[in-house]
Amino acid sequence: MELYQELVSGSGYTVYPIENMQLFKKLRDSFINKINIPTESKKNINTVRRALVKMSYAEINRSRINLLTFSDLSDMMINSCSSLVETLCGKELFIQRRAHIIFNVPGKERLRIWNHYEMISGISPFTYVLWAPLHDLEDDGGAYLVDQKESIEVMKKEQADGLINGPTVLNMMGNQKPARLKFGQVVVFNPFVLHGNNSFNSEFARIGCNVRFQSYNMPLLQKNSDYLKYYRLPKYQKAEK
Amino acid sequence: MSTATITTDINIGPFKIPSNGQNMIMNNYAERNNISVEVVIPEPMMSNALATTQWVHNDRKLNRVILCSIHQLPTKQDRINKLLSNMEDVEFHFALEGICGQGRNFLLERIKEAKMFMSVKTIDSTKTTWLELYKMLQEKGTR
Repeated sequence: MELYQELVSGSGYTVYPIENMQLFKKLRDSFINKINIPTESKKNINTVRRALVKMSYAEINRSRINLLTFSDLSDMMINSCSSLVETLCGKELFIQRRAHIIFNVPGKERLRIWNHYEMISGISPFTYVLWAPLHDLEDDGGAYLVDQKESIEVMKKEQADGLINGPTVLNMMGNQKPARLKFGQVVVFNPFVLHGNNSFNSEFARIGCNVRFQSYNMPLLQKNSDYLKYYRLPKYQKAEK
Repeated sequence: MSTATITTDINIGPFKIPSNGQNMIMNNYAERNNISVEVVIPEPMMSNALATTQWVHNDRKLNRVILCSIHQLPTKQDRINKLLSNMEDVEFHFALEGICGQGRNFLLERIKEAKMFMSVKTIDSTKTTWLELYKMLQEKGTR
């Protein structure tokens, strides 16, 4: 099924290869450099993942402050997947001003991302999310996505009860199986697809990044310039493998 | 180095932020970025000319100013020209957008971006439902 059809009328999400791996590897290197946390051996994505597991909540939060300097993360993510983005939304965009880097640290008590629709943030129904891990996912630390049809059935039921993101959604968490993506794959999904993380066991934390984008020509729920910025995809893009 | 925070009218582009809230946002931004604030400038309500700021700059020679948002920049051309000619050597920080810079081009880009946001159509969230929003995605497409 065509990309757009799959995202709007099909499952609501799809896995896609990152087009510009050279840029995406640069993004990962920048992250390792900017997060600046002490590691047991030479800094690489796996030593950072291992170090995160041993850190306290406060130490992890402090390290997040270091990432405030990663001001070109959104542009790098979007440009890593520029054809995909252009196919869905054209060249003139609103993109998230500061993309997120999310850590999923092993252990039941450390789970931070519950089941949710992206739509609850109130940006717009026309926003897509790109989510990519910064390493291969070899355990259950990744993100799961619930098929659009099932997500909307839950939404219908909840809306009838005057709820959104209520107990039905939260109780779905335990049954979900996260996709085991490779480094170099990205999942793109629409804002009505339920998604989240499960708690998992591993010696390594999971590190993923995500960014939201939509066409500049489509309406917003809020003109939130704090969250979005205008962005025009560069005219001539030659994807580097 | 002289740094000022600037409070303005409660109506800031698409936002409504009372002065006390504006101060909280700017002071938090200053703290996160290790910036010491020496001057607090209250601009009058119903004005986005930043005229008081320009008078203070003439008197105190400001090096850096902090505003809550790009939407506090002037929108009328004569006001924009005055701001550019008087303050292009001052570093501007916009706390909500988390961006800073200096000079004519930087300020013109920010004014342009604010204008682009204000020209975008919006969906009235008080007159829709979750399922209607989903229907919009299905029917209108995303380009």
